[in-house]
Amino acid sequence: MIAVIGLLIGIAAGLFLEPTVPEALQPYLPIAVVAALDAVFGAARAHFDGIFDDRVFVISFFSNVLIAALIVYLGDQLGVGGQLSTGVVVVLGIRIFSNVAAIRRHVFHA
Amino acid sequence: MTQEGSRGATTGRATPTEGLLAQLLNTDVDEEYLVAAARTASPAAGPSNARRMQISAAVVTFGVLLGVSVIKTERDRPQALVERTQVIAQISARQTRLDRLHNKLRFEQDRVADLQTSVAALVTSASRLGGEADMLGVASGETAVHGPGVVVTADNAGDAVPGAGGIILDTDLQALVNGLWAAGAEAIAINGHRLSTMTAIRFAGQAITVDYRSLTPPYIVAAIGDPNTLPARFLETAGGQVWLGLRANFGIRFRTRTAERLELPGRPPDSLLWAHRVTSR
Repeated sequence: MIAVIGLLIGIAAGLFLEPTVPEALQPYLPIAVVAALDAVFGAARAHFDGIFDDRVFVISFFSNVLIAALIVYLGDQLGVGGQLSTGVVVVLGIRIFSNVAAIRRHVFHA
Repeated sequence: MTQEGSRGATTGRATPTEGLLAQLLNTDVDEEYLVAAARTASPAAGPSNARRMQISAAVVTFGVLLGVSVIKTERDRPQALVERTQVIAQISARQTRLDRLHNKLRFEQDRVADLQTSVAALVTSASRLGGEADMLGVASGETAVHGPGVVVTADNAGDAVPGAGGIILDTDLQALVNGLWAAGAEAIAINGHRLSTMTAIRFAGQAITVDYRSLTPPYIVAAIGDPNTLPARFLETAGGQVWLGLRANFGIRFRTRTAERLELPGRPPDSLLWAHRVTSR
């Protein structure tokens, strides 16, 4: 419940306050979102598995976002930012899919 | 994804790529949850307030990230759309301009072709007019000419006395010149004075004048024409008969010889005071 309310508050804040993202950070925003999505789905799956741990969630969330941004930043410095972004998105996408599949099994038992 | 229980169990030594894929598919985030769950055998009954705050922070951060990136993408899209529209408008404008220039080019090419045609026509008529002008210059005596012909040298009789008939008269010279014209001469000069249709040959005092300039004997009449036929045809004309008579009866000296090349000077143009061109066009 608290998670849903926080999510709604955050989305509302992002939509209506429209904080200006610094130009230098703009390339990392989509990757950060995908990484955060991965952490959130992982947490949801853990919740359904009954092994949710709030500390693990908080740490994995922020470290996911930071590491994803860091990888893209490194890629930018090395001239392979686009390729690394693609790689990160692919890996996180696979994880998201398998997590969602696990959640689906818990919800629909199918 | 049906064998939930196979997680963690290695599926044998596969190729590195397959191993990586298997690892990706099998190790999810909740590996850490499993570890944490194993460590704290009995999870806390409920999260503490501090933990709640942390979770809230993470979730709110996630929401903000989501919202901001949605906003940003939305905001960037119209920009790209605007640029796209502008580029399309520019392309069509340039296309229109190109078409217009093409049309203009075709129009100008047609005009150039027309002008070339008329230039060719003008050049033709100019060369025709030039030829005509040359012919007229030769005929009117304004143009210096050269060519084969005959030279008639005439002189008074050696013992000429005024009134006795041994003197060449203006009418005699007129007869000579007219005879040469009649015999086919194309250009005539007397003592270097070119004759035209309007040249007057007259007596003035004791001397014959041509174009009002006095001449002294001998009179050298140069005529350009066919040197083979001109002398004979001249003698057949009335003028020729006159001169044969003059030579026979009065001892006037008169000699004709042909020349391969004669040069006759031009003369100033005759000024026509009364005659005007008939403009039939």
